[in-house]
Amino acid sequence: MAKKIMLIEDEEILSGLLRRKLEENGYEVIVAFDGEEGIEIMKKQRPDLVLLDIVMPKMGGFEVMEEMNKIPELNLKDLPVIIVSNSGQPVEIGKAQELGIRDYLIKTQFDPQEVVDKVKKYCLNE
Amino acid sequence: MPEKYLQKKQSDEKNYENLLIEMDKTAKLLVRRDLELNRVNAELDETIYQLKEDEKKLKEMNEVLEIRLNARTKELRENILSLDGQVKERTRKLENSKIALMNILEDFRRQKILTEDEQKKNLAIINNFPDGLLIFDNHNKLSIINKKAKEYLGISQLDYIYHESWDVENVLEFKSLMKVIGSDIKIVFKEELDMGPELILEVSVQEYSEMSMRYGKFVILHDITREKKVQSLKSEFVSIAAHQLRTPLSAIKWTLTSLLDGDFGALSDDQRKYLGKTNLSNERMINLVDDLLNLSRIEEGRYIYKTSVASIYDLLNTVLKAVELKANEKKIKLSTSIDKHLPDLTIDEEKIKLVMQNLVENAINYSRRESSVKIEVTDDINKNEVIFSIKDSGIGIPEDQRERIFTKFFRAENAVRAETVGSGLGLFIDKNIIEAHKGRIWFESELDKGSTFYFTIPYAKKDEQFFGKF
Repeated sequence: MAKKIMLIEDEEILSGLLRRKLEENGYEVIVAFDGEEGIEIMKKQRPDLVLLDIVMPKMGGFEVMEEMNKIPELNLKDLPVIIVSNSGQPVEIGKAQELGIRDYLIKTQFDPQEVVDKVKKYCLNE
Repeated sequence: MPEKYLQKKQSDEKNYENLLIEMDKTAKLLVRRDLELNRVNAELDETIYQLKEDEKKLKEMNEVLEIRLNARTKELRENILSLDGQVKERTRKLENSKIALMNILEDFRRQKILTEDEQKKNLAIINNFPDGLLIFDNHNKLSIINKKAKEYLGISQLDYIYHESWDVENVLEFKSLMKVIGSDIKIVFKEELDMGPELILEVSVQEYSEMSMRYGKFVILHDITREKKVQSLKSEFVSIAAHQLRTPLSAIKWTLTSLLDGDFGALSDDQRKYLGKTNLSNERMINLVDDLLNLSRIEEGRYIYKTSVASIYDLLNTVLKAVELKANEKKIKLSTSIDKHLPDLTIDEEKIKLVMQNLVENAINYSRRESSVKIEVTDDINKNEVIFSIKDSGIGIPEDQRERIFTKFFRAENAVRAETVGSGLGLFIDKNIIEAHKGRIWFESELDKGSTFYFTIPYAKKDEQFFGKF
């Protein structure tokens, strides 16, 4: 069965390109445009991996992670979360690591294919 | 005749006889007297003659005496004149000396007033100086503290600014300052002292001496609250700006890479070529934004974040993987020579990775196609450090540009001409990172032959804090 990837990203271009790449690589992709929408969707269907942006309207990445950790099935310990963001201050990375992320990717350093490679890596380790 | 008459005659005759006898006596006496007179006369004459002789002699003597006297008098007069002259001269000199002394005294008096004025003025300058000033004597006791310093330390109620010598080591209000400079008043330069959210001070200590006379030390407290606020606002701005700049750049990157990957169909040669160029430009922009962000973090002083014990092998492998693509593009051979038993190092892994990657990328960028880049890591047990070297056979660094290689925004002329990508910030940042780890970074180079960049990372000392601020 195809692995389900939850993609929470507010920028259409990026989510579009990434979704395309993921689907090309055999993944099933669900897209949400903000954290609130993402949490709602995940409560109903637990994904196999989450690609999460930080700066988003309504609810940002950190809030999403905090919410997820409150819900047993969505806890980051068992559900791999990869941050895909453009802000990467050490303080932020540290905070995210404390919340339990598997990796922190900065969009200007990783192109879609490279993101997919990371997805493969962390999905495999599941 | 009467008897009476005869008697009278007889008596008269007797009287006359007596008279004649008397007269004879008298005549004889007279003769005798006359003779005596003559004798006396003669004696007188003799005497007169003598006297006259004596008078003559006296006169002569007088004349001699007078001559002598005149001579002496003249002598004396001359002596007196000369003495008089000398006395006048001496007196004149004394007068002059006296006047000179009076002038000197007057000068002294004036100088004293001026000096006191100067001192008052100087104390006033010190007291009203816009920075806090504390002056410590040679025994590390406080002798002068000015208005601003009192204000900063919260002791404005203190009256005096000048005190013989005050031991402030254990005074409460001085505790935080003493933490920075120590009771022995260390020479520090621009050390930060946090006195609360509304007051951040920069402390500097300077010894003051004049011609090998050591007077003591002065401590300057400079208010940098505003600068710090500006700095943090600036870095906040840069963070936000970096993020804002990255957003469109990542969109462009992702679109271009997808296109180049063929996600939207096969590309013609021209399309591939020009999309490739665009991608390169975009990568350049991305690197610049990264560099600017790193730079602002360094300048803020809060750059180094986390240290951990890291394996050098792992670090190298990550770096090699990251540069693989670039090296393959130019058909550059990457070789490594690593000491067998390298110790683990306590470092900020992310930053050291950045340095290694930057140096290897530089080596690749500035190398010709099909050349090789050699990475060497050796353990120097004697110096307690690990030495890294990256050697290329590329364009090298011209002699006259070498001093500025590690400075901000500098790119050597031959690098710019070679149209290679570079913001000029990489080496500056690398230097900052290596030095924050208490290591050294340097290079050897020959124009058109190649360069070798070296850096060292010392073994961590127990409990040593590398990075101070964060």
